[in-house]
Amino acid sequence: MNRELRIERSLPKFAAAKVAGLLSPGRGSSYGPLSLVNADPLDLPADGWLTIKPRLAGICGSDLSTIDGNASRYFEPIVSFPFVPGHEVVADADIDGVSRRVVLEPVLGCATRGINPMCPSCAAGNLGNCERIAFGTIEPGLQSGFCCDTGGGWSQSMLAHVSQLHVLPTDLSDEDAALIEPAACAIHAALRGGFTGGETVVVLGAGTLGLLTVAALRAFTPVENIIVAGRYPHQVALARKFGANNTCPTPELARLVRSFTGSMAYGNQLTGGVDAVIDCVGDSASLTQSLAITKPRGQVVVVGMPAKVSLELTTLWHRETSLVGAYAYGTETMHDGVRRRTFEMAIELASTAHLGQLLTATYPLDEYKDAIEHAANAGKRGAVKIAFDMRQVSK
Amino acid sequence: MPRPGFVLEVDKSTPPTLFWRGEGFSLEKLPADRSRVIYAPEPLPALDDIDGAIRHALLNPIDQDPLPTLLFPGMKLTIAFDDVSLPLPKMKRPDIRQRVIEAVLDLAAEAGVDDVHIIAALALHRRMHEFELRHAVGDRVYDAFAPRGMLYQHDAEDPTLLSYLGTTPQGEEVEINKRAADSDLLVYVNINLVAMDGGWKSTATGLASYRSLRHHHNPDTMQASRSFMDQHKSELHKSNWRMGKVMVDSGVKVFQIETTLNNDTFPSPFGFLSKREWEWSAKDRASFIGTKKALDRTPNRIARKIFHNIEAPHQMTSVQCGEVGAVHKITTEHVYKQQLVEVQGQTDILTMGIPYISPYNVHSILNPILVMCMGLGYYFNLYRGKPLVREGGVIIMTHPTPWEFHPVHHPSYIDFFEQVLSETTDPHVLSAKYEEKFANDEWYRHLYRTSYAYHGVHPFYMWYWGSHAMQHCGRIIIVGGEARSVRRLGFTPASTLNDALELASDVVGRSPTITHLHAPPIMIADVT
Amino acid sequence: MATRPSVPIPLAARRVTARAVRSTRRTTVSVRSTIAKAGFPYRKPSVPGGISVPKEPSKLGANFDTEWARSPVANAVRAVVTEGPLRMLVHGVATPSVYGADRLEDFKPRDDEDARPLIFTPNHHSHLDTPLSITSIPMPWRRKLVVAAAADYFFSSQLKGTAAALMLNALPLDREATGRKSMEQITDLIADGWSLVIYPEGGRSPDGWGQDFKGGPAYLSSKTGAPIVPMFIDGTGAIFGKGMKRPKPGKTKVVFGAPMTAAEGESTRRFNARIERAVSILGDESLTDFWTARQNAAKGSTPDPKGPEFQSWRRTWTLNEQRKRGTTGLRVRQKRVWPEL
Repeated sequence: MNRELRIERSLPKFAAAKVAGLLSPGRGSSYGPLSLVNADPLDLPADGWLTIKPRLAGICGSDLSTIDGNASRYFEPIVSFPFVPGHEVVADADIDGVSRRVVLEPVLGCATRGINPMCPSCAAGNLGNCERIAFGTIEPGLQSGFCCDTGGGWSQSMLAHVSQLHVLPTDLSDEDAALIEPAACAIHAALRGGFTGGETVVVLGAGTLGLLTVAALRAFTPVENIIVAGRYPHQVALARKFGANNTCPTPELARLVRSFTGSMAYGNQLTGGVDAVIDCVGDSASLTQSLAITKPRGQVVVVGMPAKVSLELTTLWHRETSLVGAYAYGTETMHDGVRRRTFEMAIELASTAHLGQLLTATYPLDEYKDAIEHAANAGKRGAVKIAFDMRQVSK
Repeated sequence: MPRPGFVLEVDKSTPPTLFWRGEGFSLEKLPADRSRVIYAPEPLPALDDIDGAIRHALLNPIDQDPLPTLLFPGMKLTIAFDDVSLPLPKMKRPDIRQRVIEAVLDLAAEAGVDDVHIIAALALHRRMHEFELRHAVGDRVYDAFAPRGMLYQHDAEDPTLLSYLGTTPQGEEVEINKRAADSDLLVYVNINLVAMDGGWKSTATGLASYRSLRHHHNPDTMQASRSFMDQHKSELHKSNWRMGKVMVDSGVKVFQIETTLNNDTFPSPFGFLSKREWEWSAKDRASFIGTKKALDRTPNRIARKIFHNIEAPHQMTSVQCGEVGAVHKITTEHVYKQQLVEVQGQTDILTMGIPYISPYNVHSILNPILVMCMGLGYYFNLYRGKPLVREGGVIIMTHPTPWEFHPVHHPSYIDFFEQVLSETTDPHVLSAKYEEKFANDEWYRHLYRTSYAYHGVHPFYMWYWGSHAMQHCGRIIIVGGEARSVRRLGFTPASTLNDALELASDVVGRSPTITHLHAPPIMIADVT
Repeated sequence: MATRPSVPIPLAARRVTARAVRSTRRTTVSVRSTIAKAGFPYRKPSVPGGISVPKEPSKLGANFDTEWARSPVANAVRAVVTEGPLRMLVHGVATPSVYGADRLEDFKPRDDEDARPLIFTPNHHSHLDTPLSITSIPMPWRRKLVVAAAADYFFSSQLKGTAAALMLNALPLDREATGRKSMEQITDLIADGWSLVIYPEGGRSPDGWGQDFKGGPAYLSSKTGAPIVPMFIDGTGAIFGKGMKRPKPGKTKVVFGAPMTAAEGESTRRFNARIERAVSILGDESLTDFWTARQNAAKGSTPDPKGPEFQSWRRTWTLNEQRKRGTTGLRVRQKRVWPEL
C-alpha cells in the first residue's frame, strides 16, 4: 500500500476549501479536496518509467492555491484528477540496479509522453514551454504532481520518467536538494530578463521564489543592483544574505526606488524607475506597483503565479513597458551566449548558496494539516519553505 | 514683578509633575529627594507702546545711522524676515514682524523709496502657505506686495537668484540671496525666541543656499557647539559670524532689527501648562482634567489641529536695531533675562516632555526625527556652561512618537527615516554616505521649490542637531513612544516613566539624580 | 484679508423679504385706516374752539431720553439684535470685508481690565454706515458702543427715537446748535467707558464725495483722552446713498486705522485735520493697497475723498471712475504666487 495525499475532483469540496481558505490561509486542507489515503501502487504507463521513493517534497505556492480552491480555471484541461500534489521532489530511485538520490524535473514534456517527433519547444530544450502537456501516453498534466498517472511527491512512492531524473552529487544534502526545483524556476525568471550588465532590478516579494531569484540574479546574471521588497523582516534579512544590496518592507518600495534611481514622480507613477521588476507575488497590487516603478521601456517579469488580476494598463501602453511571464525551466541562454540546462545550474546553486537554509521545517505526511497551515502562513510565522519528510517512514 | 526661574527639589509632598506628550500630557511622580524640576521664569512685562518702541528703535539704532538717513529715493531696499519656524506657538495677531515691517515701510514711503522687496528668509525650510505669510506680515503688507511679486520667499535652489560672495579664511563659501546682496540696504526683521536665533545667523543662514549652509550645518560643527544656545561656545555661530564678515566686506549693508518676546506661551484655557503644579487653582485643575479627558477621546488628527491653532499671547519685551553684532549682544541679554535659570550641578538623568510643536512642524506633524531633534537638539542644548545631564548620563523623553510624517511638508524625512536610519544612526556615517544624494535629489528640489516641502537635506540637519547629545549620553529613552519608530531612531522605548528609570539604572546605577526640564515655556539652564 | 466671507443673498430670499415688506406695509395702512374710522376715544380728541392747549416741552430731538437704552436689559436685547437681524441685514445688503481691525489689538483689555473707550470716526455716505460700523467694530468695543445720531432726524418721533436708541444705541446729537448738552452727555458716557461712533462730516454725503470734517470728535478726544480710530467705509453710498428709495445690494469695505490721540499742545483744529487726513489715507488704502497709500501719503498725493474742485457732471463722472477702479482695479485677485496645498 502507498500512503499518499490526494486531491479529488469535487466541486463542493473546492467550494468549502475556498471559504475556509478565505477565513484563514491553509485551512482548505481541513475542509477541501485534499485527503490522506492508502492507495494501490500505480501501474507504469510505458517504457522509461520507474517507481521512485520521495525523501523530501516541498509545498509550493501553486499547491496551496489548489488546496484553498484559488487556482485558475485555466488549469482545468491541463491537470487530471485525482492527483497527488508535490513537484519539488528529492527521491531515491533505482537506476540500472543502483539506488541513487535524484531530484525530479517535474515537467511532463514530450519525452515523458512518448511523443515523437517532439514539439518545437521541447526540441529547442525549452521544456517548460512544451506544447503537448495534455496529450500522449499519459493523462493531461503540466507537471508531475498534477497528473493522475504519475502520482506526486506528497507520497511514499510515485512514478517518474527516466528523463525527469537528475542524479544528485553525494555531498549535497537532501535539504539543499529540496530547493533545486524552485531554484530552477528562479534561475529561469532571473535569466528571462536578458540582463546584459549594470541593471538595477527589483525583486518584489521575498518568499522562497523571491529569495531564490535574488540568489540566481547574483549567481548567473551581471545585474548591478538588486532591490528586494518583502513583507517580513526575516525575509529581507535573508535577501541581503543572498546578495541584495537594498531591501525594504513592501510599502516603502516605491519611495526607495524613487530615491535610489533619483527619479521624479507624478501621482504614484515614477517618471523613471528601475530597469526591471521581477514580480514574485503576482497579484493586482504587486503588478500595479511593478508597472509604476519600472522605467520607460523597462520590463516586468511575472514569476509569482497570478490568477485573475485587474490592472490599469495605460502606464504599460504609455511607457512601453514589457510585461513577460516566467514559468518553469528548460535550457537557459546566459548573457555571454552559453546555453545550459536550468536544472544543472540549480543543482550548482543549491550547493554554492546552501539553499537548504531556506527549508524551515519538515512534517511527516500524517501531519499534513499542520504542514499546509504552516506553509500557508510561512511569512507570518517566520518561515520560508515547508516540506514533507518521508525519510522516517522509509527507514 | 515676575518671579525668576526656579529649581524645585522634589520631596514626598511634591505634587506630580506635568510632562508633555505630544498632543497631550501626563502627570508623573518623580522620585523624592533626588529629583529636581526646573521651571522657567515668569513672563517679563511687555513693552507698553510697542509701535512707539519700534519707531524709537528705528530712529535710534546701535552703531549705525538712523534708518531714515539710510533710505533715499531710487534705492533698492530689501526687507527679509524670519519664517514660520518662529515664534512658537505662532503669536496672536498682529505678529511682531508685521509691526516692524509696517514701521519700516512707513519710513521708506516717507523717504520716497519705490523699489522694495520683502523676502521670507527661510533657507531650506518649507515655503510658507499664504495664510502663514498673511499671519506673519499682516494682510496689509501681503495684499500690497504679494500680488506684484514683491513679497516672496527665498529660494535656495535657484542659481539665478543667488549671489556668491566669496569664502571665509576657513574656506567656507558664502552664497546668499541675490536681491538681498545687491540691495542698497538689507533690513532684517528678526524674532529672537531662543538664544540661538539672530545675529549673523539671520542673514548667513536664513538667506543662504545649501552650498553655504553645509559649512556649518554638519556633525563636526554641531558636536563642537556646546551649546548652540551660547554663541560664545558655539562653532555654529562662529562660522556664521565669519560669513557675516565676508558679507560686510563684499558690500552688503545690513540693518538688523531684533526683537525679543516674553515667554507668555499659552492662552487662558491652557494657562496651567506654564504654571507650577502646586499653584494650580481649582480652575486650572478643572481645565487640566477637562482637556486631558477630552484629548484622550479626540482623534489624533483633530487634537493636532486644535493644538496648532493655539496662538500664544507672546508680547515684545525689547526691540533694537543697527549693526548686527552690536544689536545681537543686547538681544541676547534680553533673551537671557527672560530665560536663564541658575542650576547647581549636572544630573544623571534628564527628563523632558516633548510637546506637539517644534520649529519645523508648524501646522504639521511632529514626526520621529523631529521628536529626536526637539529632545536632543533643542532641549538638551538649553544650557549655558555645562550640559544639564552629565556625560554618559541618560535622557528620558515622553512623546508618543508615532511612525507618521506629513507627506507634503516632510517628504525627504520619510525616505531618511526608512532608508537611512534603517542602516545607520551615526551622524558622521550617514552624512558621508547619504547627505549629498539627498541634497542634490531633483525630486526634493522640485518639491522644495514648488510645493511646501522641506529641502531634501533638512532631515540630516535635524539629525546633526542632536549629534552632540547622542555623543554625550549613555542612553536615550522615549516613554510612551511607538516601539518600532523609537528603535529606528536608535533609542530605547519604555511604556512608563518608572520602566524608563528602571532601564536607565543599567547605565547610571540604582539611585541616580534626576532633573526635569519643565518646558515649554522655554528656559536656558545656567549650569554651574 | 476679509474677516467676513461674502455671502450673496439668493434671489429667492430677496423675493421673500420684499414680499414681507409689502405685506407689513399693507397691514400698517389698514390698521391706521381702521383707527381713523373709529373716532374718539380710539383717536386723539379734537380740541374745542377757543381753547388753547398748553404746549408741553418737547421730549423729542436733542431732548430725547435714551438713558434706558443703556440698561443691562436693553444691552442684552441690543446684543441679540446686533448679532442676529442687524448682522444678517448688513451681510445681505452690503457684504462687508473688514480690514485693519488688528490695529486695535494693542487697545484690547488685558486680563480683567475694562476695554479702553475709543472714538470711531467713519466717513458717512448712507444710513447703512451705522449698522455696518456696529457689526464691524471688534468685540470688546462692540458691546459698549453708542452712536451719535442726528437729533433732528432720528429722534424726530417717539417711535423712531425709541427704535434708534434700542437697536443702535443712538444718542441724539444736535446738529444745529453747538449742543452743549449733547457734548456733555457724550463726554460723560466716554468717561463711563462707552465707545462712540461719530460721523465727523456731520451728515450723509449729498453727492457721493466726502465733506469737510467738523471738530466735534477731535474736541471729544482731547477732552476725554479717548483715542480716535479713523475709519473708512467704502461702498455704502452706492448701495443706499442719500436720496435713494431702496437699497441696491453691493459690496462694502470697512477699514480701521491706527488709533490716534492729540499730540501735546495740538489744537483741536489741527488734530481734526490730522483725523481727516488719516481717513483720507485709509480711503486710499481701501482703493489701492497699504503700500501705495503710504507712498501717496508721503508724497502728499493722497486722493482727496472730497472729490475734485470742479462742479457739475464732471464731479459725478470722476466718482464713477473711482468706483470702477475700486472694484475692478487692483482689487481683482492677482495670479496665485504659490500653489495651494
